[in-house]
Amino acid sequence: MLSADFVIVTAIVYVGLLFILAYFGDRHTRANKSSFLRSPAVYTLSISVYCTSWTFYGAVGNAARSGLEFLTIYLGPTIVFVGWWFILRKLVRIGRMQAITSIADLLSSRYGKSSRLAVLVTLIAVIGITPYIALQLKAITASIQAVAESAEGARGSLVGVDDGALAFGIAAGMALFTILFGTRNVDAKEQHHGVVAAIAFEAVVKLAALLAVGVFVTFGLGGGFESIYRGAEAAGIAIYEDDPFGPRWVAMTVLSAAAIICLPRQFQITVVENANEDHLRVAGWAFPAYLLLMSVFTLPIALYGMTVMPEGANPDMFVLTLPLSEGQSGIALLAFIGGFSSATSMIIVASIALSIMVSNHIIMPIILRSSNVGQGDGQGVRRLLLLSRRVSIGVILTLGFLYFSLTGDDALAPIGLISFAGVAQFLPAILAGLYWREAAQRGAASGIFVGFVIWAWTMFLPSFETVLPWVSDVMESGPWGIGFLRPQNLFGLNDLDPLVHSVFWSLLLNSVFLVIGSLVSNQSALERIQAAAFVDVFRRRPFAHRGFMPGSATANDLYFVAERVLGEKRAATLFETAAQERGVEPSMLEPTPEFISRLERELAGSIGSASAHVMLAKVVAGGDVSLEEMMQMADETQQVIEYSQELERTSAELRVTARKLEDANAQLRELDSQKDEFLSQVSHEVRTPMTSIRSFSEILMEPGELNDGQRQRFISTIHNESLRLTRLLDEILDLSALERGERSWQNAPVDAEEALDRAVAVCDALLRQRGMRVEFGERAHTTMVDGDSDRLCQVFINLISNAVKYNDADHPMVRVSSAVRAGQFVVEVADNGPGISKTDRKHIFEKFWRGVEGGGDQGGAGLGLAISRQIVARMNGTLELVPGPLPGACFRVRLPVIK
Amino acid sequence: MTARRKLESGVFVFAVFGALLIIPPLVYIFNHPILFFGIPQIVVYLFGVWAMMVIGTGILTHYLPHASDEDSHEGDE
Repeated sequence: MLSADFVIVTAIVYVGLLFILAYFGDRHTRANKSSFLRSPAVYTLSISVYCTSWTFYGAVGNAARSGLEFLTIYLGPTIVFVGWWFILRKLVRIGRMQAITSIADLLSSRYGKSSRLAVLVTLIAVIGITPYIALQLKAITASIQAVAESAEGARGSLVGVDDGALAFGIAAGMALFTILFGTRNVDAKEQHHGVVAAIAFEAVVKLAALLAVGVFVTFGLGGGFESIYRGAEAAGIAIYEDDPFGPRWVAMTVLSAAAIICLPRQFQITVVENANEDHLRVAGWAFPAYLLLMSVFTLPIALYGMTVMPEGANPDMFVLTLPLSEGQSGIALLAFIGGFSSATSMIIVASIALSIMVSNHIIMPIILRSSNVGQGDGQGVRRLLLLSRRVSIGVILTLGFLYFSLTGDDALAPIGLISFAGVAQFLPAILAGLYWREAAQRGAASGIFVGFVIWAWTMFLPSFETVLPWVSDVMESGPWGIGFLRPQNLFGLNDLDPLVHSVFWSLLLNSVFLVIGSLVSNQSALERIQAAAFVDVFRRRPFAHRGFMPGSATANDLYFVAERVLGEKRAATLFETAAQERGVEPSMLEPTPEFISRLERELAGSIGSASAHVMLAKVVAGGDVSLEEMMQMADETQQVIEYSQELERTSAELRVTARKLEDANAQLRELDSQKDEFLSQVSHEVRTPMTSIRSFSEILMEPGELNDGQRQRFISTIHNESLRLTRLLDEILDLSALERGERSWQNAPVDAEEALDRAVAVCDALLRQRGMRVEFGERAHTTMVDGDSDRLCQVFINLISNAVKYNDADHPMVRVSSAVRAGQFVVEVADNGPGISKTDRKHIFEKFWRGVEGGGDQGGAGLGLAISRQIVARMNGTLELVPGPLPGACFRVRLPVIK
Repeated sequence: MTARRKLESGVFVFAVFGALLIIPPLVYIFNHPILFFGIPQIVVYLFGVWAMMVIGTGILTHYLPHASDEDSHEGDE
């Protein structure tokens, strides 16, 4: 028959055995690099620290209360391990490359080695894990009480000891044990081979114990699976569930998948304690297999227990009470040890992981910031580190105990789920950190914080409902009566399972804040470097980022720091190796940036990346560089920046100048070709009259039979041709003078109407010759414009004579009208000639352009319109071709009127 | 490298498919009051999927490259 005293003694002996195992395990792995303790099997077994007393005792209780739901806790991690190639492998690789010591270190390191984020994560982890530790204390307490109540006189020395006192004793014992166990030294990479060996051993023990109980209950008592199900059905227990696969099923699967990544102890074992990435290959299938074996007998035990145990028996303890009630002391003792194993392994690893986080991210930074690293004796930092870890373990177990004694007597599984939902708040930041380069510190911190607050409000707080009256008030009617904020009906979301409700809101808002916070904030340089190092961990070769400038610290300074954190031996080895690689004496070692970042990684392995960064920053940048030097460095940097900015500006200017030159060159080319064209056209124009003058004079020079009449006609032709030639040359001269602005006149107020009348008069002879007349349209009265009267007259003459010369209509006519419109004197000269074809319209103002139909006998050189346009332009007016009142062309002159 | 890429995709699909098989709506297909060897169908189904995932992962992992002998310039996304 088992007694309480006996199981307590057994537990103490068992703990002693674990300690010995850990001690020799440590020595063995130190002496032997390829020890079996570094094998994939041990790694896999140690990961099963996931199976705590929640699994050992609580799963049966959960199965008894909610049927298949307990499976979700194991199916979630199974999925994560099946996909180990994607998330876990990446985490393990990053953990190795960056010497990550904890989940807080991972997040802090990813988001720019932010100390604040590390503190936030650490605090949340401590608060989030507290219920989980309470769960273990509760399970051990309950198991000892179960033994004590199993028979008359089994209570032994526990007579008069209540649950609280017993739990306190257990918590104190656990704290002492963990301190002895886990903080004997500060290890190179925060790896605890001895502890891992002990945890692996415990994994075997709990699996063996649970399988033994399972086989005993299922086959020994129940007569096989079939008869257990039949018996349960006969006893009126529903073995076919209506619908366990609601939102709660999905939420729990997601939570447990998140937990296997985010739980500090899982991270510690899977990532930090990982000795070889290839161990994941085995864990990928073996850990799910372990979980499968742990779950095979859960349902049969629960069903059998419900069938045979008296009403009101605690199903959480069926694993222990079933053998006890059958008087099977041996199996009951095994069950007790198994349950004790699962609880202790969780408490040990969780409190080690949390204490590392607390000491590295909260205590060390405070000490580093408030005192000089160089002071104190050589072992100062190490001793401080160990002390802070021991204190942290004490604090963590105290919190667990307080939670245990404050909260009501819930079942085990719901308590564990509170912790799962708490640490799941790290998941969005981790996944974003691994796969989204733009994820920024501000986003991660705000997301985690908001998720944590929602979790604390909707899940953590309600767990105090039964003991704190005000909590139940708040849950009933909301804070200050605001029903909108009721913890389990947040924002008016009712009719949802409290767990689903909390998980939904916390993870949703967490992710929303993460994404928006990342999108609206800018990453610092260090953050960008770390983001790339994390996201692309498989893409790049291991690289040393240039965190510090060389030359501002000597090897001695660095050694001083290294010795204090790593210990004399490891520091010496590190420096000697570096010196050997460089081929110099250790005393001559120059601290290069590569060496400094290697040292930073080594330090990070002991005290976390944020603290290591701060510490080295103190020595390398802050300690030995004076303010003046810093200012000078900053000045030089500033100068270099300015210089480069100036260079950039100059080169931009040069680019602009070059483009301008190119444009000018193109313009010149264009002008040059225009000039050539002009010359060839002039030559052509001059050539025709010259040819005729020459041939007629040659005829005249011939002594021959030319009569006087002929001679007279020839001479008259020569005269006409030379007149035409002179006119042409005059026009060319005029135009080029106008273009160059040489033949200038002073614009003076003149009567434009008078100039128009004069022009019509001049053209009268020409008009008569053609039998035409000018038809006047609307006429303006005396209008003064700024210009030159003769020149203006010249323009009008040109327009009217064009209208006459090119007009081949049967009843040719010219229509002249003038008016003042909107402060402008407008003259229109229209004709009923052939008009100007669309294609010619844009050419008519060019030099030497002549109407095709007009033929060559019109005597014009094709310069008239070009000259007219120039003249009008000089009077600040315009000359253009417009659609007119008559079928032919219509030219419009606009000149500003002087008031 | 394409074989390797396909293998990685296979692992991914395997994990996603495993997840889909254990959550609604697919689980409903196997949630009928039928007994196999005296065990409810859904229990047999869930443990069956689970065992299949264990075995499948073991087989797929066998073909995945080891960390020790892979080149450092792999792409995993």
